[in-house]
Amino acid sequence: MSKIKNANRLTGKEVRAIAKQNKKIIRKLEAYKNRKAEETEYLGHMSKPENILEIDNLHTYFFTEQGVVKAVNGVSFDIPKNTTVGVVGESGCGKSVTSMSVMRLIQGPTGQIYSGSIRFNAKLDNGETKVYDIAKMPMDDIHKIRGNQIAMIFQEPMTSLNPVFTIGQQLDEVTFINHPEATKEDAKAKSLEMLDLVGIAMPERVYDAYPHELSGGMRQRVMISMALASDPRLIIADEPTTALDVTIQAQILDLLRDLKTRIDGSIMLITHDLGIIAEMADYVVVMYAGRVIEKGPVSEIFHNPLHPYTIGLQKSKPTLNSDSDTLFNIPGNVPNPVNMPNHCYFKERCGKCIGKCSGEYPQMFEVTPNHFVACHLYGKEDQNG
Amino acid sequence: MAEVLNNENQKSENILEVRNLRKCFPLKKTMTGKVTQELVAVDDVSFTLKAGETLGIVGESGCGKTTLGRTILKLHKSSGGKIIFDGVDITDLKPKQMREIRKQMQIIFQDPYSSLPPRSTVGGILSEPVSVHKIVPKGEVKDYVLDLMEKCGLRDYYYERYPHEFSGGQRQRICIARALSVKPKLVICDEPVSALDVSIQAQIINLLKQLQKDMNLTYVFISHDLSVVKFISDKIGVMYLGSMVEFGTKEDIFANPLHPYTQALFSAIPQPDPDLKMNRIILKGDIPSPANPPKGCRFHTRCPYATDKCKEEVPEYKDYGNGHFVACHLLQK
Amino acid sequence: MEEQTKVETTQTNDTEAPLDKNVRLMSPTRMVVRRFFRSRLSIVGLIMVVSLFLFSFVGPYFVADLPDEVVQTDANGNPILDENGDPIITYVYHDDDGKWGEIELDKRGMTEYAVSETTYTVNGITYTLRQTTETNIEDNMLAPPSGDHILGTDNQGYDIFVRLMYGGRISLIVSFLAVFLITVLGVIMGGIAGYFGGFIDNIIMRVCDILICLPGIPILLIISTILDASDIDAKYRIYLLMIYLTFISWPGTARLVRGQILSLREQEYMVAAEAMGYSVPRKIFKHLVPNVMPQLIVSMSLSLGSMILYEATLSYLNLGVKAPYAAWGTMINIISQDQDILQNHLNVWVPAGICIVVAVLGFNFIGDGLRDALDPKARR
Repeated sequence: MSKIKNANRLTGKEVRAIAKQNKKIIRKLEAYKNRKAEETEYLGHMSKPENILEIDNLHTYFFTEQGVVKAVNGVSFDIPKNTTVGVVGESGCGKSVTSMSVMRLIQGPTGQIYSGSIRFNAKLDNGETKVYDIAKMPMDDIHKIRGNQIAMIFQEPMTSLNPVFTIGQQLDEVTFINHPEATKEDAKAKSLEMLDLVGIAMPERVYDAYPHELSGGMRQRVMISMALASDPRLIIADEPTTALDVTIQAQILDLLRDLKTRIDGSIMLITHDLGIIAEMADYVVVMYAGRVIEKGPVSEIFHNPLHPYTIGLQKSKPTLNSDSDTLFNIPGNVPNPVNMPNHCYFKERCGKCIGKCSGEYPQMFEVTPNHFVACHLYGKEDQNG
Repeated sequence: MAEVLNNENQKSENILEVRNLRKCFPLKKTMTGKVTQELVAVDDVSFTLKAGETLGIVGESGCGKTTLGRTILKLHKSSGGKIIFDGVDITDLKPKQMREIRKQMQIIFQDPYSSLPPRSTVGGILSEPVSVHKIVPKGEVKDYVLDLMEKCGLRDYYYERYPHEFSGGQRQRICIARALSVKPKLVICDEPVSALDVSIQAQIINLLKQLQKDMNLTYVFISHDLSVVKFISDKIGVMYLGSMVEFGTKEDIFANPLHPYTQALFSAIPQPDPDLKMNRIILKGDIPSPANPPKGCRFHTRCPYATDKCKEEVPEYKDYGNGHFVACHLLQK
Repeated sequence: MEEQTKVETTQTNDTEAPLDKNVRLMSPTRMVVRRFFRSRLSIVGLIMVVSLFLFSFVGPYFVADLPDEVVQTDANGNPILDENGDPIITYVYHDDDGKWGEIELDKRGMTEYAVSETTYTVNGITYTLRQTTETNIEDNMLAPPSGDHILGTDNQGYDIFVRLMYGGRISLIVSFLAVFLITVLGVIMGGIAGYFGGFIDNIIMRVCDILICLPGIPILLIISTILDASDIDAKYRIYLLMIYLTFISWPGTARLVRGQILSLREQEYMVAAEAMGYSVPRKIFKHLVPNVMPQLIVSMSLSLGSMILYEATLSYLNLGVKAPYAAWGTMINIISQDQDILQNHLNVWVPAGICIVVAVLGFNFIGDGLRDALDPKARR
């Protein structure tokens, strides 16, 4: 019998050193977050005017006791007007943290936006547009964009609605926040209109119902109507159908597709399901371990995937049409993004490694217009420099 | 003599036979304990399963697939019907007699986060069943467990770690190792991959297939995802609101789905191909509450082809050739 | 294609290693310790409790230098007898800073024997009048703080500082004992009720309800009167009362354990244990109870504080520890005997009060700290 002692743990000394470092950084970042600032301090301008959101080299870190978790580690992508951008990746790849960063919902003091910028093209009530850098906004000013300019649909329709208020009360509240001058009747009319918009057959009855009286699919419809009630420029849908049954998922996806043509806004759709992405998105961002590894138009990503991870992901998804007996699988686990080495994070699981892969992390390389990939197989020598 | 042989054959071939299984949960009771309203979670389900085969059970939430799995294991007491495991009728066995049979049938759960006790190490979790059931002599327990961990793709230094230190995929491997530690014959996999990432899902499914080959296991594989079930099953049963609506071999079900619900399930799965414009059947409405199921055919409230007959009469569960059972009025014309 | 897949599956184990090795985690024990010490309050609580323990259990060894008993003799070396015919005993200290032990009174100067000689000369004859005067000085009561008595003495001449130590011993031992008994009883009853449910659960919970309804203090008064009448040694009184306290307090713990077990029982790992065919005691005590431990430890440390308060209340009402033994509550009780002490001799009763406050606060701080440390979901 062999005794296994080595469970590969941190020593007390290391733990103390980590805690000391974290404390210093967190204090600095918290102070920055809670500062008072003039609006001019966080105004910016878009690199392309047709974009509604530009995420540029975003770093969101979690300063945990085990070390710094770089949940989002240099993510950049754009969301153009009136498009659906799908962000796809496995759990822990940072796709949800990216969306939370956009909403500035990262739980402090552990979680902090470390650097980078999130430029958002906000449309004010008087019609003029302003570009805010959300990452630099102090917490006191977040209300300018959160909820009215950007709305969010969460994964869990069971817990995202307050159980002690009726659907109507919760929907009316959204209207009152955006239009404080509205009367009760106005709000109710607007709420009913919204419920009708999301395909609820009997809006009057749902209006007076409590969340527990509704099924999961109905609740998700209500959540969507709440997100739409403020006429947002951008809707972030974080795994909107994961908690639902397939037949209900089909209904909700159908609804979202329908809404896309009817509202004047963009959708950032976060999911782990490539099938949903293929159906819904115009533009796809594939994330892995806190980095974007490939992004491009949907047809490019599905017909001409370049990064070995994207290829593997597509192959390992069981489909009804394929006939093979065993499933293709990517070996290994999704890495825990602590102490990541400075080489391609996918190297250990990749079947196509070349010598260069042990070198620095690959740069983004534009293969065809708008189709970027971060892999040494495609980049030119000089571009890795 | 020939008859005896035949019987023996029968016994070794059909490892699991479920006949008209029924499971009700009481919803309301009077003061005296009389049940006034009940939820029929599993209603009149029958099937047989040969050793080494895999039965896939597909259905949406509330269809009773989890209850079916647990009732087969006798984790719930059945309310009617028979369960015959390995030639033994286990329906009315006492808990003490059941304990012996337990090690021959195991279960793997959906949520790898709540199915491992949080305050035991991996080593503790895996060696406990081995020593309780005396699978190997005392001195060899640790080596046996380490061997098992390796088989399931776990590294030896995980032995001293706690479940919360692992990712979902690794935890599911631990769960599989625990289930297999007592050398079972039948394993009920209750949505073992639905909580996992796509790339990990494929690993776990392949691992399960590999282990099935190595250890000659029989699986009942419960899932809501038809495409996952396809890869692992030999036979497939589709459930809706407690009853089996279609049952048959994988080939039959996939090539020729007969029940409208099965057809809708197939078309509801999003396909990873942007150009594939599917003619999707989108079912209207929600799944009715199992506590208050509709009369007649339970699917008639959402069925695109429902007739008046469907609203009144419960369709018969009939064999349409080659063991392809369907319960639908449409086919009886 | 198929071959390739197989190769990659077997590679899994080897390729997983390098990135995984980078991730080193904290051991769970270290995590709990760190979380506990991260809160300043729990450190303060720990310091408070530890210093009280040292004070009560180690302190007496440094100060209790017991005096020798010396029989008082007159000038001729004959023992002086009191009115009952017993020799009068005084205490002699080994050195000048002698201190008193648990039940010793400061009897210095209680009686002073002075022999004076007066010589008269009357008619050429010298008479020597030898006079023994017995001066009954007040007992060394209510002495102010001095080198001899750091906190002075109380109205009977007990050294307050030393009495605080011995009082602390009783208070702490008694509350630990009570909490231990409450926990054992609560875990067993709550565990059984939670695991089996149904009829057994109903019975145990109704017993709990009844016990919670009982008016504690009135019953205590009755029991105390019975104890007074039945001539039980003062030393054991308090323990008997603590058993009574256990008897009326276990329902709280039992409810906590039952509630926890009810929710844990539905967890899938318990279903897995059931599917494994484990025996019932194994399921309760190896799978359920360890998972209730965190909540139990927290509730234990919180109830330690309340038991100290309970003990103090009892002693204050003169139901608990009786003289010559001391407890913190008894020491405060002195104020009810003499208004003057309440107003003018703060040194007599305030220190005991401070000790009680420090102990209760300390245990509560530790309890809160443990709650945060042991709850894996707690985030700061």
